[in-house]
Amino acid sequence: MAMLEVKDLHKSFENTVVLDGVSLSVEKGDVVAILGPSGGGKTTFLRCINFLERADSGTFTFDGVTHDLAHIKNREISQIRKKTGFVFQNYNLFRNKTALQNVTEGLIVAHKVEKKKAEDIGMRMLEKVGMADKASNYPSQLSGGQQQRVAIARALSADPEIIYFDEPTSALDPELIGEVLSVMRNLAEEGMTMIVVTHEMDFAKNVSSRSIFMEHGHIVEEGESAAFFANPKMERTREFLRMEANRGI
Amino acid sequence: MPGLLVTIPLTVIAFSFAMIIAIILAMVQVADVPVLKQFARFYIWVIRGTPLLVQLYVVFFGLPSVGVRINAFPAAVLVFSINEGAYCAETMRAAIESVPAGQMEAGYCVGMNYYQIMTRIVLPQAFRTAFPPLFNSLIGMVKDTSLAANITVAEMFFATQRIAGRTYQFMALYLELAFIYLMFSTVLTRVQAWGEKRLNSYGGNKI
Ligand SMILES: Nc1ncnc2c1ncn2[C@@H]1O[C@H](COP(=O)(O)OP(=O)(O)OP(=O)(O)O)[C@@H](O)[C@H]1O
Ligand SMILES: [Mg+2]
Repeated sequence: MAMLEVKDLHKSFENTVVLDGVSLSVEKGDVVAILGPSGGGKTTFLRCINFLERADSGTFTFDGVTHDLAHIKNREISQIRKKTGFVFQNYNLFRNKTALQNVTEGLIVAHKVEKKKAEDIGMRMLEKVGMADKASNYPSQLSGGQQQRVAIARALSADPEIIYFDEPTSALDPELIGEVLSVMRNLAEEGMTMIVVTHEMDFAKNVSSRSIFMEHGHIVEEGESAAFFANPKMERTREFLRMEANRGI
Repeated sequence: MPGLLVTIPLTVIAFSFAMIIAIILAMVQVADVPVLKQFARFYIWVIRGTPLLVQLYVVFFGLPSVGVRINAFPAAVLVFSINEGAYCAETMRAAIESVPAGQMEAGYCVGMNYYQIMTRIVLPQAFRTAFPPLFNSLIGMVKDTSLAANITVAEMFFATQRIAGRTYQFMALYLELAFIYLMFSTVLTRVQAWGEKRLNSYGGNKI
């Protein structure tokens, strides 16, 4: 059974349809890459399934329980969020908290983990992303790549079942992208379930198990990453992949 | 200096109440609480739109005619709290709104609720932003307390007037009074600088 299943998700802003019936099913251990042109609805999709945006309709099954996305209750939302992690394009680290406090804040406040224990977990998470030596730095004292790695440690802290990434490297200088991608690659190898919106074609091709091409609020094509890249079925996907390939040159 | 022991408590008590009023008024607006939000806008509109001196007169000289009699000092505390609260509420509201929405969203994503995120993430950052303008208000208020002399509160200005009336040493006494207010502001400015430095330890809300 899928660990997470989205069915027929619809979302409009005012009169613009942004998501027009998106369905997606994720198995434990899957790394799903979502690709697509700007404005295609990728961010909105992630925000809807983490309830930062309320969907107009659709169902969401997680942990064997199916919820109506349009009417899900706050209590259910917070239960689900405690089992998921979210990594933002612009990190969104708590600016008044150190790197370590960023990781422990949710553990202590939301998960009621004892402070000492939370700090142990926090340090382990920071080590995992190679940031233990900057534990007492504030976000303003970290580079973008370092901030994003702390943000990943924060998303990992409560041992989530799945982590959503929204273009985690798009705001980074080119020389800082590698350090973040390598942390993500390690997570994938450890079997972490992830949905990753990205423009990093190499990551999608080599790390993700499945790739999805999304445009105009639709999933145009999806498949095993190897096949998806070697042999895309839809003309539109081919065109997009060609364009992305040329972007790097 | 006679009256000093009235000016200081008046300032401290009234500003403390003003801060409480300010945070509540700012929060109901930011959290978009129906009715209370409209009340907050109305309150701020009336208080900022009328002179402080007139407010003092209404409470001290006006209210007794409708059966509400308040002594001079509590009346002054009341008016200064209400008045300063309205101005500081706007400072706080702007400061809270200047905290990027992403801070709130990140809090939700780690499982925190609105109240937890507000008190632990957003308000501390907003307070950092609001700190200098709030201090500005405080310094302004120290001087404004001299208006309380008009409703017979025996603060420094009132006391000085009394002595000057007896001794006719207007120049010396009023200069001395001005100097004491200046000392107050000087000390508060120092405290502000010290406070800002401490609050800046995390980089002052920079990304
Ligand atoms: N809060 C909002 N209000 C109105 N329109 C919005 C809002 N958020 C997104 N949109 C619109 O929804 C569409 C999809 O946006 P979204 O951010 O999901 O795209 P995206 O695929 O993530 O693009 P990018 O690759 O540029 O990040 C866009 O046309 C955008 O203008
Ligand atoms: Mg996006």
